[in-house]
Amino acid sequence: MRYYLLLIILFMTLAAVYAPVHCVAAEPEQVPTDAVSFQPVLPVQTGDVPAKSSTQPADVVSDEYDEEDDFDYEDEPFAEERVTIADPIEPFNRVMHRVNDRMYFRLLKPVAQGYKAVVPEPARISVKNFFSNMGYPARFLSCLLQADFSGAAVETGRFAINTLWGIGGLMDPAAGEELGLRKQDTDLGQTLGVYGVGHGLYIVWPFFGPSSPRDSISLVGNQFLSPLSYFYPWYVSPGVIGIQVINATSLRIGEYESLIGAAIDPYVAMRNAYIQYRMKEVNARKAKSLLFKSSEASHPVADTTSRTEN
Amino acid sequence: MNSVAIAGGLFGPPQTISKEAGSLNTAVGYRYHEDTYKNHADYVLRQNQIYSQVAYGAYKRWEIYGRIGLSDLKIFDAFRSTDVSTTTSKDHFEENWKFFGTLGAKGFYPITSIFGVGAFLQGSYTFGKFTDETAGIHNTTPFAADLEVKNLWDVNFGIGFQANVPFGIKLYGGPYVYYAEADARFSDNIPGLPFGTEKTLLKNKSAVGGFFGADIPLAKGFRLNIEGQYTDRFSFGSAISYTY
Repeated sequence: MRYYLLLIILFMTLAAVYAPVHCVAAEPEQVPTDAVSFQPVLPVQTGDVPAKSSTQPADVVSDEYDEEDDFDYEDEPFAEERVTIADPIEPFNRVMHRVNDRMYFRLLKPVAQGYKAVVPEPARISVKNFFSNMGYPARFLSCLLQADFSGAAVETGRFAINTLWGIGGLMDPAAGEELGLRKQDTDLGQTLGVYGVGHGLYIVWPFFGPSSPRDSISLVGNQFLSPLSYFYPWYVSPGVIGIQVINATSLRIGEYESLIGAAIDPYVAMRNAYIQYRMKEVNARKAKSLLFKSSEASHPVADTTSRTEN
Repeated sequence: MNSVAIAGGLFGPPQTISKEAGSLNTAVGYRYHEDTYKNHADYVLRQNQIYSQVAYGAYKRWEIYGRIGLSDLKIFDAFRSTDVSTTTSKDHFEENWKFFGTLGAKGFYPITSIFGVGAFLQGSYTFGKFTDETAGIHNTTPFAADLEVKNLWDVNFGIGFQANVPFGIKLYGGPYVYYAEADARFSDNIPGLPFGTEKTLLKNKSAVGGFFGADIPLAKGFRLNIEGQYTDRFSFGSAISYTY
């Protein structure tokens, strides 16, 4: 545990020192629309994201695009969005990527496949709905902090309706055609992103998968705000979270395989997909924020977060 | 033997609100229930129930449903002494929320496009036990004892007549019969108090009642159900349901 904390501190320090080093991600063709805030293993967070891979070292790639830093994207509203993230601990990340990859194929996927064989899909969707409903406090707080008050109201309405008429959250009547209250797919990491906090650097956590110091705060904060973290005795919560992970994976088997199958370098593909996905989420949240909505409207492809994160 | 009525929720309209092809409907409801039982004296029983219901119905003809809810229990004068040598700190038995479950089924036959008749069968069971403590003095000797009420269950069978009126409102009513029982046991034998260490079986006094209600469409798939029931005393409740 002590080493784990030391590692986190080390990453934060490295983030500050190495932040000017960039890697560039290509524009993905598709972005997942329903990722869970908790990142059990890589595929849950990234989904089906074909990505152009790069086998070049991070420094070479960043140097290439450093020359283009003077390019005025604001003048070309439909220019391709470029997303950057520092990756100074790439060797460590690649090891963790491999560890997570092995864990997925040798442990999580077989378990999820067995679970999938036993539990019918409607039941697994209901379990997913239940856990999603439990994520209400984090989404509600994130909406409030982002000054997205209509989103906070929608989340509250969803929670009340799904808890009362959705059998404790197992069903999702709020998202039905008649009510149309869609889940506000947000978290505390996005909240920091909305306020201009950059990723810092790219980190691949063992088990939790792709992240960054900013999104790691989200990872901790979301768990802190989840009622599932407060079961007694202590070992119940990890068990419940394990079920959540297995259930989510059972609904996404094949997505991770598609991503790495199409990539020359799965690590780079994953990194690109992750950073693109998070950037799009942050931009989507900015568009809903009362504080940033007007400025977003005047800059249709504004990507200030990703371009200023150094 | 004492008698008591402990019933488990609204009966609802005889015709299911599920879609014709078959669908779920869910509801949350509240019911205020009162009844009396008589043996040596008249006692009034009161319950507040809140519950969540899930139901599945099809063809506008049948429905099965289950409920899980919480209920409190108050038995008036359960600790009131009939002996002048015994005084108690309080007169009423009162305990807060305990879980109860209900299962039911109903069938409906439309006679015309407006009128129809149906029947239902519904049973409830309260999990856990209600307990309350009282203290007092008997012949200058202080005592403290508690009353335990458990194994509350009931079964109801009724016939309902329904009329569909404008604006999608369903009016309904009809007679029903029911049976309810519970076990009560006091932790001590105190002269003048109605319960003792021997288990006392509480049963419903009146076996027949009547119910009437309305099911009113709201917006966006929600409906409001209001219902009254009468046996020895009047009970009423309301539920808001949602059809998937």
